[in-house]
Amino acid sequence: GTVFWGLANKCVISNSFILDDPDLKDIDPTVLKHCHAAAATCILEAGKQKADLSAISTCLEDCKLDKERIEQFCTEYQKNKDALEILLGSIGRSPLHITDVSWRLEYQIKNNQLHKTYQPSYLVTLNVENNDSRSHPDVSFSCTMEQLQDLVGKLKDAAKSLERATQM
Amino acid sequence: MQYYLKGKLNIGIDTIQHAVEGLAYLLTESSKLMISEVDFQDSIHVLGFSDELNKSLLQLYLDNRKEIRSILGELAPRLPSYHSLEWRLEVQLASRSLRQQIKPAVTMKLHLNQNEDQSAQVLQTDPATLLHLIQQLEQALGEMKMNHCRRIVRNMK
Repeated sequence: GTVFWGLANKCVISNSFILDDPDLKDIDPTVLKHCHAAAATCILEAGKQKADLSAISTCLEDCKLDKERIEQFCTEYQKNKDALEILLGSIGRSPLHITDVSWRLEYQIKNNQLHKTYQPSYLVTLNVENNDSRSHPDVSFSCTMEQLQDLVGKLKDAAKSLERATQM
Repeated sequence: MQYYLKGKLNIGIDTIQHAVEGLAYLLTESSKLMISEVDFQDSIHVLGFSDELNKSLLQLYLDNRKEIRSILGELAPRLPSYHSLEWRLEVQLASRSLRQQIKPAVTMKLHLNQNEDQSAQVLQTDPATLLHLIQQLEQALGEMKMNHCRRIVRNMK
């Protein structure tokens, strides 16, 4: 029925399973699976190519869908377009992503090898997120004040370049 | 070295070995504690050497203290430490699953030192997080100038 298109759209985004849906229990599961796969492919392809609504309509017209269903599909598609794009954009490999940083400042006084060391020392932990697995191997390192200044200076250079690049 | 000295000085190996070890102990302990010139002189005075020898021992201590401390500093337990950072700016334009993207990113290569070895990690972040990192780390640097930290530093010395 017409409700199907909205559901199919939702399924792509939320991964819920159509066969469990009580509204669709009268439909042959094989047909249902075929329809779901076709709709999912259509939605994902449209999302991947960033197809506009007129392109989608033309495509669906070629598939001999009636006007009402096409309209319904397009409305649902429009509603979920942003979520779909985020989903598709997050697929793929990329380096570990830094999400946050924590730091600790300590003052070193002495150790078993050396007395009167008297120098500040920072412990920096970069919180890191992995794209394709759930493990988050944080990156920790210690640095002196000069080293931290060096690090911040370089990050600021990068931020400045970024700002300049966005103004172009 | 012991054999070389033996030939030159015509003394027993044991004596030379003890002398070298004694000297090394005297210099590392003094450097480790960073004792003053006066304290060093007082310490060696009880050994009953000639004034001339005491003088050259003191000179030996003062000349080498800095280097000995830097060597001892390397022996101290240490975490992986910052060495340097390289960065580059990029914009992701397309991927297999999504065409026509504009996703700015800063890719960084972080070089760390750990037990003489150098390791590097490639990390990435987005512009908003980059600004957040800078802000947080600047706060960290600023903290050292705050009254609380300055008071501790002053009272320690």
